[in-house]
Amino acid sequence: MKPENPRHLGARIQRLEDPRLLSGRARYIDDIRPNNCLHLKFVRSQVAHAKLLEVDTSMVEDMFPGTIVFTGKDTGALSMKAHQDYPEMQYAEQPLLATDRVRFVGEPIAAVLAEDAYQAEDAAEMVFPDFDFLPVIATMEQAQDPALPPLFDGWKSNVWVERQMAGGDLAAARAGAAHVIRRTYRNQRQTGVPMEGRGVIAEYDQSMRVLTVWSSTQMPHLVRTYIAEELGLPESRIRVIAPDVGGGFGVKGQVFGEEVLLAWCAMKTGRPVKWIEDRRENLLASIHARDHLHTLEAYVSAEGRLLGLWADITVDVGAYSTYPFTAAGDPGMAAKVMPGPYDFQAYEATFRGLASNKCPLGTYRGVARPSAVFSQERLMDDIAREIGMDPIEFRLKNIIREFPYRNVLGFTYDPGSYEESLLRMRDLLQDDIAAAKASRTDPKTRIGVGVACFIEQTAHGTPDFTRRRVPIETGYVAARIEMMPDGEVLIDLGLQSHGQGMETTMAQVAADALGVTPDRVFVRHGDTSAPYSVGTWGSRGGPLGGGAVHVAATEIGTKLKLIAANLLQASPEHVELADNRAFLRDRPETGVDIGYVARSALRNIDRLPEGMSPGLAAEASVDGPKDGTYSNAVHAAVVEIDVPTGKMKIRRFVVVEDCGTIINPLVVDGQVRGGVVQGIGSALCEHFVYDEEGQPLTTSFADYLMPQAPEMPMIEVHHIETPTPLTPLGAKGLGEGGAIGPPAALANAVTNALDFEVRETPLTASAIWHMAQDAKGV
Amino acid sequence: MKNKIELTVNGKGHALAVEPRRLLADVLREDCGLHGVHIGCAHGACGCCTVHVDGAPRLSCLTFAVQCDGKTIETVESLGGTDATHPLQQAFRKHHGLQCGYCTPGFLMALVPFVDAKVREGTMPPEAEIRDAMSGNICRCTGYQGIVEAVQDTIGQGLRSQGTGQ
Amino acid sequence: MRPTEFAYHRAETIEHALALLAEHGEDGRPISGGQSLVPMMNLRLARPAHLVDVNHLDMARIEEDADTIRIGALVRHETYLTHPLIARHLPAMLEAVHWIGHPTIRRNGSIGGSLCHADPTAELAAMAVLHDARIVLASTGGRREVAAVDFLKGAYVTDVQPGELLVEVIFPKPTGPHVGTFDEVGERLGDFAIGSFGVRLEHDGTRVRRLATVCGGARMVPIRMTELEAGAAGQPLSALDPVAFGQKVTAMVSPSGDFRASAEYRRNLIGELASRTLQRARDQAMGMK
Repeated sequence: MKPENPRHLGARIQRLEDPRLLSGRARYIDDIRPNNCLHLKFVRSQVAHAKLLEVDTSMVEDMFPGTIVFTGKDTGALSMKAHQDYPEMQYAEQPLLATDRVRFVGEPIAAVLAEDAYQAEDAAEMVFPDFDFLPVIATMEQAQDPALPPLFDGWKSNVWVERQMAGGDLAAARAGAAHVIRRTYRNQRQTGVPMEGRGVIAEYDQSMRVLTVWSSTQMPHLVRTYIAEELGLPESRIRVIAPDVGGGFGVKGQVFGEEVLLAWCAMKTGRPVKWIEDRRENLLASIHARDHLHTLEAYVSAEGRLLGLWADITVDVGAYSTYPFTAAGDPGMAAKVMPGPYDFQAYEATFRGLASNKCPLGTYRGVARPSAVFSQERLMDDIAREIGMDPIEFRLKNIIREFPYRNVLGFTYDPGSYEESLLRMRDLLQDDIAAAKASRTDPKTRIGVGVACFIEQTAHGTPDFTRRRVPIETGYVAARIEMMPDGEVLIDLGLQSHGQGMETTMAQVAADALGVTPDRVFVRHGDTSAPYSVGTWGSRGGPLGGGAVHVAATEIGTKLKLIAANLLQASPEHVELADNRAFLRDRPETGVDIGYVARSALRNIDRLPEGMSPGLAAEASVDGPKDGTYSNAVHAAVVEIDVPTGKMKIRRFVVVEDCGTIINPLVVDGQVRGGVVQGIGSALCEHFVYDEEGQPLTTSFADYLMPQAPEMPMIEVHHIETPTPLTPLGAKGLGEGGAIGPPAALANAVTNALDFEVRETPLTASAIWHMAQDAKGV
Repeated sequence: MKNKIELTVNGKGHALAVEPRRLLADVLREDCGLHGVHIGCAHGACGCCTVHVDGAPRLSCLTFAVQCDGKTIETVESLGGTDATHPLQQAFRKHHGLQCGYCTPGFLMALVPFVDAKVREGTMPPEAEIRDAMSGNICRCTGYQGIVEAVQDTIGQGLRSQGTGQ
Repeated sequence: MRPTEFAYHRAETIEHALALLAEHGEDGRPISGGQSLVPMMNLRLARPAHLVDVNHLDMARIEEDADTIRIGALVRHETYLTHPLIARHLPAMLEAVHWIGHPTIRRNGSIGGSLCHADPTAELAAMAVLHDARIVLASTGGRREVAAVDFLKGAYVTDVQPGELLVEVIFPKPTGPHVGTFDEVGERLGDFAIGSFGVRLEHDGTRVRRLATVCGGARMVPIRMTELEAGAAGQPLSALDPVAFGQKVTAMVSPSGDFRASAEYRRNLIGELASRTLQRARDQAMGMK
């Protein structure tokens, strides 16, 4: 629950990490330069599917003496293993370097190590793989064609997994329905594109048997565990450090084969080895996202009540299963969250992940939910259109109002503000709805308003992963806090902050419990020297990281009060900690500096109460609630379409969101706005395209188009704060939510503007023009 | 084969021997130790590596160091020192115009001359013009809003301090 | 994504540059702003063994004589935005420049570099075609002039021969009253266009004296709609029908489609842009009466 009367929690304070980042003094992975370092360049497959007959490296040795080349012959069986323990799931591994087959353009075939990055690139051009081409699986249809051979020996088909989820009596819902509405929706493949690509440096100290790996990762502990297990090293002798990380968005929330390979290379060569991903390989071969096809069928009563939902979910997961969320992650997540914020108790879903000759899918901000919400919220509008109801009224008729709510799959939703958010949004949109109506007769310029109402399961706890039998296995976050003799505070946080501002927000949380100002709290993160944690992903930094900091800091705070009470000769319940002092609540002038208290605990321990041991350190870990905690939001887009050219302008984008307790509104607004703009990118322009041969067509920023400033609107953010009883601070997760709503909101706005049901993204000018052509009355 | 060049970087002279193919970005980072120059795409499409060459913004990933022999170069490190005291840096902080910070030096180096020019002209540009001025820089974190607000705030301060603003 | 090795030559005079280019032939490439060439080199799609830096040559001026505006190969795109000769004589160019790339690219990119790169929808290539510009190519053997339409041979292919340097682009001045417009649609501001259209209209206040057009995105090079241009000459301004004009353009062009835009969309888009640019040009011309 939310703490009472916080001083720093909830304050809009400027970020403590900013000066380092603004002044160019931050230290990203490429800024770390060990002496005597080798630079690694990958030779990656240029073909989508082939037998790898031979890798000819003789030219490298001839032309670039001293250069080291490793191929799959050297790394052998070392691989990435990411298996979800579903009985239906087919098993496959990805070798660190391809051994006998390549399965997507971008798959690593060889590693070339030279004295500098330019030379490594020169030498890599002289590695010549020999291929025997195989038929390419480039579409969902091909992946489901039994006539085409499977990607892996011993497989029955090109389906990684196909599985059902169900709850309630769908036959009864179908039988009782006055309206049956069936639609198919499609989201394109994209990728996450942090502005800093991936990068790894590994160094092995033979004498100490200590391996140090620097990686631009969101999950250092998981990288450490995977390397230890795969290379057979004692985990105590591996340290993984994520330095300043230039954006992650989930892309860096997997363990990559490159991380394991670099560690192996450092041990093999006895020299530090560095790999900085270039932009082309980042687009081709980090991870991809989305690529969903959903068919939904809704059963609706004559009064407009949603009685049940049937869903068929297909995701092109690509060539390999990624660790730790696997090839079943995206399709399973879509099936799990499809019921959304609506009250109905009959549901059946089939989900499947298909194997294809494309880059593997991984986690990217929102993970399946942008696609699930796209389908769910497009369907809500399409139902409303078909039964002649206003789309917001139809949602209000079906929205969940009573909490806790047990949904059709048995998940329990903690309290939220679903109805209030919708009502607030309806008020905010009155003028736009009128303008949209007025534009209906205009042949050239159409205005449309679309909303997307959704919930987001955040901060999932261990039971959620156990249920899914997924290799992440657990979801907890830990922190260790130590107050120094001068009253300064050090937090070793098991998260990695790569834009989320945790050096500030965690300091705010600790400051309240310890009675210090946030500038006296130093937050270290992204290092396995912090207590074991799963890392920064799945919207868990605030609720779980903040929770762990709160619990640990409160333990130290309690001890500080006992010591201060002894020093002030008062009872501990009368002592308050604030403004870097410990003082008596009803006589604030009677007090001591917090540093004096700390010194009493650590140096002048003769001042401690009788029998108290010295020390001011505490460690806590907080796991996610069993079903997570559910944030909710309504997004609305107001668009203006120039019908003859299909060009769309976003006139307004409005968010009403509820992430429970807000730690720092500046940071929350930033997370929401940044997420929304990524979501706008998903909706409008970000499209990773393969041709029929599995050749990628969008391998530079000239072709893979992300939102730029001129097309983006100001984003209005309104907050409702419903603290959850399930986390220590009442906070729910909010990192991903911004990216979830925009595809649905924008597609609904286009639907409204053109009076034409949008079925797929991206909403390019060409696509919108075609819809306008197909629409009646435009 | 290496070419000998002389650069003045952030006011300091550097005599270097560089391979002609080495990008200015790499030379600034590796030979001059200026890690604030970030490489985001290495094909001129993201703006992360923007520096000033003879006073004007230029993409250091599309420039060979050898071309800059005798030139004066400024990087983000020159702006407001380690405390980031330049008014635009301060405004970025106030308006949360940065998150992960990777694109930030490029935005600052692209926008400082724009801000200065507008203050000199004595006009507050419309939002669209500010967004156009940053159209060559991609930020993946902020959604651009905080950056736009930081530019507006800094120009506003400049106009007020010289008595030309409203 | 770093270039292959090359030798760097800083040319001090045009003669010096031409001698270097003659010496290195197919292996030599001039570099000016580098905004198109260096990305290609970083991607190793271009691999010149010798790079001749022409940035220090005396080719950065915009000059006029009685009949022409002469733009030096090193003139940077942003220069046009504030140059009085451009505003007076080449108004369509003023509109087109706004669509080129981003501020840093406009500050550093040069007309010589842009034309030699020959992207199919590049704005300056379209302007050269629209204005019947002549491209001046120099070599140790002398100078030759090539009409823009002949210079642009295909996507990324030009008439520049080994040893040659583009030194100047000559734009004929319009005679008498004239207007010019340009419009394009891309996914984002600064992206290469899906379709574009430019119009140059010379008139006498009531009638069309001469109509010139250019269309980007229809083929691998910017094209003129010569039939429509001929039909408009001598017509009263008020008789110019932008809607019908756009429909004719749509009927005449046959662009190809790709993942970004269908052929049908592109065709209609170009027609719509033709209609809009002609309408604005006609309205401006009639306003000058």
